[in-house]
Amino acid sequence: MTSNTGSEFEKKSSDDILLPTMNAENLQANMRTIYYSRTFLSIIAGVIAGILGFTNLTGFVFYFLVMAITSLGLVAKAKFSVHAHFDSWNRVVLDGFLSGLMSFVLFWTFAYDLVHIF
Amino acid sequence: MNIGFVIGVFGILILAHATYSTIQYRSYLKILEEEFSSPPFNVVVELILGLVLCLWAALAVPGKFLSIHPDSEENRIVSLPANLDFMIFNHRGRALPTDVNMKLKC
Repeated sequence: MTSNTGSEFEKKSSDDILLPTMNAENLQANMRTIYYSRTFLSIIAGVIAGILGFTNLTGFVFYFLVMAITSLGLVAKAKFSVHAHFDSWNRVVLDGFLSGLMSFVLFWTFAYDLVHIF
Repeated sequence: MNIGFVIGVFGILILAHATYSTIQYRSYLKILEEEFSSPPFNVVVELILGLVLCLWAALAVPGKFLSIHPDSEENRIVSLPANLDFMIFNHRGRALPTDVNMKLKC
């Protein structure tokens, strides 16, 4: 009984100081999930762009399009309550964008060479 | 999770088949001596299908999002103390006034 009320007191005081309290382990697990999704989808997007035969700017526009769809899917996966699973919108929309771009370019050139050059 | 993985493998197989038919289409164009403008319609359909299946797999396979709120339903720690057998409530403290609790609550 006493320990219960003690924890309530702690919560109240932390709310008063406005400390942002969250479960860091779960946040990290969510970030890892997003990273896996984005890496896999950028590889798939690269293969598709290569098969379709996109050349310079069109391929990057295609990458932006696929990443936008991915962000939408991730938000839908979080049941549209982003702040219950992440601390900011940037985690969902921007994280893993540049590293995904690298693997996108790699697989884009790979598929393009495979289909259109050899 | 398992069915998402199967769907992802299926999507990758569809993409591989689309690659193969595009290569065949290119060699066909080489025989006809025409220029490649855009892939044939069935390849485009296959690519869209593969993209949708892989999107599904990428969202389903890596696991669910966990809540980061410390007081949400799944993060709350519900456990009883280990010394329940040694707790005695039938003692002289029952006769004492319970003002202590009232004071703690507010």
